[in-house]
Amino acid sequence: MKPAAFDHHAPADVGEAVAMLADLGEDAKVLAGGQSLVPMLALRLAVPEHLVDLRRTAGLRGVAEHEPADGCEGVLRVGACTTQTAIGRSADAARAVPLLARATPLIGHFQIRNRGTVGGSLAHADAAAEYPSVALALGARMHARSPRGARTIPADRFFTGMWTTDLADDELLTAVDFPVWRGRRGFAIEEFARRGGDFAIAGAAVAVELAGDDRVRRCGIGLFGLGPTPLRAAAAEEAATGMAVADIAADEVGRAAVAGLDVVPADLHASADHRRHVGAVVTARAWRRAVREAAHA
Amino acid sequence: MTGVRAAAARYAGARVPRVEDPRLLTGHGTYVDDVVRPGMLHACFVRSPLARARVLGVDAAEALALEGVHAVFTAADLNPDVREQWYTLIGRDVPDTPRPPLAEGEVRFVGDPVALVVAADRYVAEDAAELVAVDYEPLPPVVDYATAHESDELVHEGYPGNVAGTLGGPPLDELAPVFDGAALVVRETIRQQAYAQVPIETRGLVAEWSAPAGELTIWTATQSPHEVRLFCSRLLGLPEQRVRVVMRDTGGGFGQKVVPQREDMCVMLAARKVPGALKWIEDRRENLMSAGQARHEHADARLAFAADGTILAAAVDHVQDVGAYPVPWPVGTAAAVGMFFPGPYRVTRATWTSTSVFSNTVGRNAYRGPWQLESLAREVLLDVAARRMGLDPADLRRRNLLRRDELPYTNPNGMPYSDITPLETFERALEILGYEEFRKEQERARAEGRYLGVGTCTYVEPTTAAMALHATEGATIRIEPSGKVNVYVSGGSSGNSIETTVVQLTADALGVDIADVSTIQGDTAVTPFGGGAAGSRSGSMTAGAVGETAAVLRERITAIAAHRLEAAPGDVELTGGRARVRGVPGAEVSLAEIAELAYFRPDELPPGVPPGLEHSGRYRPATPVIFANATHVCTCEVDVVTGAVTLLRYVVGEDCGPMINPNVVEGQIAGGVVQGIGGALFEHLAYDGEGNPVATTFMDYLLPTAGDVPVIEYGHVETPAAGPGGYKGVGEGGAIGAPPAVVNAVADALAPFGAQITRLPLTPESIVALVRAADGTVPR
Repeated sequence: MKPAAFDHHAPADVGEAVAMLADLGEDAKVLAGGQSLVPMLALRLAVPEHLVDLRRTAGLRGVAEHEPADGCEGVLRVGACTTQTAIGRSADAARAVPLLARATPLIGHFQIRNRGTVGGSLAHADAAAEYPSVALALGARMHARSPRGARTIPADRFFTGMWTTDLADDELLTAVDFPVWRGRRGFAIEEFARRGGDFAIAGAAVAVELAGDDRVRRCGIGLFGLGPTPLRAAAAEEAATGMAVADIAADEVGRAAVAGLDVVPADLHASADHRRHVGAVVTARAWRRAVREAAHA
Repeated sequence: MTGVRAAAARYAGARVPRVEDPRLLTGHGTYVDDVVRPGMLHACFVRSPLARARVLGVDAAEALALEGVHAVFTAADLNPDVREQWYTLIGRDVPDTPRPPLAEGEVRFVGDPVALVVAADRYVAEDAAELVAVDYEPLPPVVDYATAHESDELVHEGYPGNVAGTLGGPPLDELAPVFDGAALVVRETIRQQAYAQVPIETRGLVAEWSAPAGELTIWTATQSPHEVRLFCSRLLGLPEQRVRVVMRDTGGGFGQKVVPQREDMCVMLAARKVPGALKWIEDRRENLMSAGQARHEHADARLAFAADGTILAAAVDHVQDVGAYPVPWPVGTAAAVGMFFPGPYRVTRATWTSTSVFSNTVGRNAYRGPWQLESLAREVLLDVAARRMGLDPADLRRRNLLRRDELPYTNPNGMPYSDITPLETFERALEILGYEEFRKEQERARAEGRYLGVGTCTYVEPTTAAMALHATEGATIRIEPSGKVNVYVSGGSSGNSIETTVVQLTADALGVDIADVSTIQGDTAVTPFGGGAAGSRSGSMTAGAVGETAAVLRERITAIAAHRLEAAPGDVELTGGRARVRGVPGAEVSLAEIAELAYFRPDELPPGVPPGLEHSGRYRPATPVIFANATHVCTCEVDVVTGAVTLLRYVVGEDCGPMINPNVVEGQIAGGVVQGIGGALFEHLAYDGEGNPVATTFMDYLLPTAGDVPVIEYGHVETPAAGPGGYKGVGEGGAIGAPPAVVNAVADALAPFGAQITRLPLTPESIVALVRAADGTVPR
């Protein structure tokens, strides 16, 4: 369990980092906390020739609320290399994007959160991780930079396959904008794991906004552990949107969320059937909690 | 020794802080990987990726061409050097199973070592290991031990039906009338998954050959340095005195480090062929793939009852997976499953069989309470029986548990129990829990749709078995010229606090302050021969060794002091580092002064008293085994929708005799309990159908964490055994009692569904399946 040899690079800023990525091409991997990559290196499951380590790269850290521009909602902008611990401790995050704050303690253990970063988590795109499903549920937008310039990618289009994203080899995730939902909104994340701190067997992140008449104005349901990628339960969201919240059975939301899943993982810890079953259960539980919170907001 | 009084115990029984802790808790322990020698080289094994294959060839040319690579050894290089290969623990004359250092001709499990790469560092060694080309011809593996006897394929030639050995009691037919005539017979096959010891320090050793001196020095992680030395001396044909084995802090063994394994043999054999010390540190993946499994077995168990719940007979047919290369000989150990199946209950008739079966998986090895299935099978069956009889499981046990007035009691398999307290520990544990109140709480919870459960396990275990390697234990005590004390014992400390224990006992035995006693352990060059940490023997055996040795020194000190103080030896007492004449204030002499006389002014010693204050003694127990017993009680809540089990409380009522140090006793119990909880709920050293291990990292091999186990509560019953101090063993019991207690608690929680648990581990999915099977619906 010793990594194969690699060259270590420590770019000072984002421009230098993306120039390096462009130069090194597919032989390079970005190190952004290392809580997944370093074990993969040790097991030689990943054998990159170059590591571009962002630990000393300026301009990639911080949590700040940005006031809405005209006609838009406000966002919480989180630098890609902000550690999970920093997010967990951020009063801004807890106030503006409660779902992000509530997801944070579920990520691994505190030692992992001390080093793990939001950008690392999103770019690694583990299907069983918490942050990607939060990004999907809230409709987050990813800021990416490459030598060709900057662009933003909506969460819906970001996760493209197992451990793969829309990012190009020379593209760096620099920040994430999590929309700040206002009004009568409620949030909940529920996951089921064999032990606290493990990757979830199944999990769901739910965001709900109610209109004045107690109808669902909008909702987002992110699923994790239930497919090859982090998933959005679009059909379940659509079915609930516009309905009077009293007419929505949480169990039905859970069933609808897992109904369309076709490629559900199976391993030593749970079969695909058990994951589906638990996925429906945690979605229903999260839905109930989120709706309760929204109704009392 | 008439007239010499034992010093009053000041430290034994007290919660003395562990002497190991300052170095261990500040990160200053010395584990094998901390040993660095000049010019040291590093080893890495090339391991089989296949469960079974013929090895057609090994080509190391590319690996040898890599810069920094010193050698690549194959079976042809190392195996012919083996002179003798057997364990002192088991003896030379048992029909031991095959154990080649490197795989010869055929690989027999994924992880089987095929070649040994030696390089300048471990990184290069791993690079080179990837370059060693092994030509395999795949063969059909025997993965499932339970059907291995029907397979046409053989793991080892010469073992028809893949059976490594079978032992048993009288024929079951003899008990047929009892079973046929019983009011109730419960019979279930209880299946347990493979799980492992998982020491936090993996295996490892550094072996350094000095050609000019003809001496081999080994630093290793072991539970028994003297066994390593003897084994190595036989393996290499070196005289025992030319082999030195050193261990300091071993980060857990739990049976995995009782004896050297095949990788250790390879490093020992290679050490004489390389120009510097050779270090091998097993990594975690290797440890989970190649260091061994335990617990993979099943028992077809049956109990016969009279109408009033009295147990009439017990029978068990046990089959265990021993993998490809079990360590040590597994057949004899398995007999204990049968012998102890009747447990601490009044059972008049019993029999058993035990069969050990090879498979193309990692070898079985010793694990804390290796016979633990006897308790799992029995205690699960007792709960099944209680439910069928409509009795509370506690009441069924009360009717059958042995009482003090029935002791000594020989169980139907010939185990001579004495000084045990099964009923007392049972009642103590249930009282601490508040069993009756819990039953009421359970009823209220069920009315709310919440499922709580309580389970117990009561067992009796053999400790301090005094045979072969473990027959005796030695101690050397040196009261140095300054009056300070060093006590030397063989050691094998792998987390069992034996340093603290020895220091406590020695301070008491000599009447000195504990701060004035140090202990030296784990170096065969300076410590007396001893068996090491195994079989829950260290407490009692070390107490015996210290007691024998200190008694001689105490007599000598007393004689010198009496002479000096002009008093009768019978009036001299040793306390606080001084010899005092009872009732005569001021008539005293310090141990330092006595030591000065003994070493530097021998002319002033009384006639017949030898100079110096050092002595070696050796203890041989009068009884071949000491029995200990305990009851574990666990409560849980089961989420029947997801299958999640939350343990609520965990109580252990135990009797390990008088406690030398309650902290140590409780630490030993806690460690074992957590391992047992792991076995019941989490840990699974699983293989797929092709014989590939699927739990080779801590992502997949799930150890219980602090968040998964409740605070463990203790109720101590202290009944002296016949041995020194009355002490009994306590190292293994926690791991025996926990799985049945947890399983029974979960089964009790699921009782409203009529669910019956016969298979471990209790994964959430398996629990949901039990609930579904019972009531035909999918809970949500």
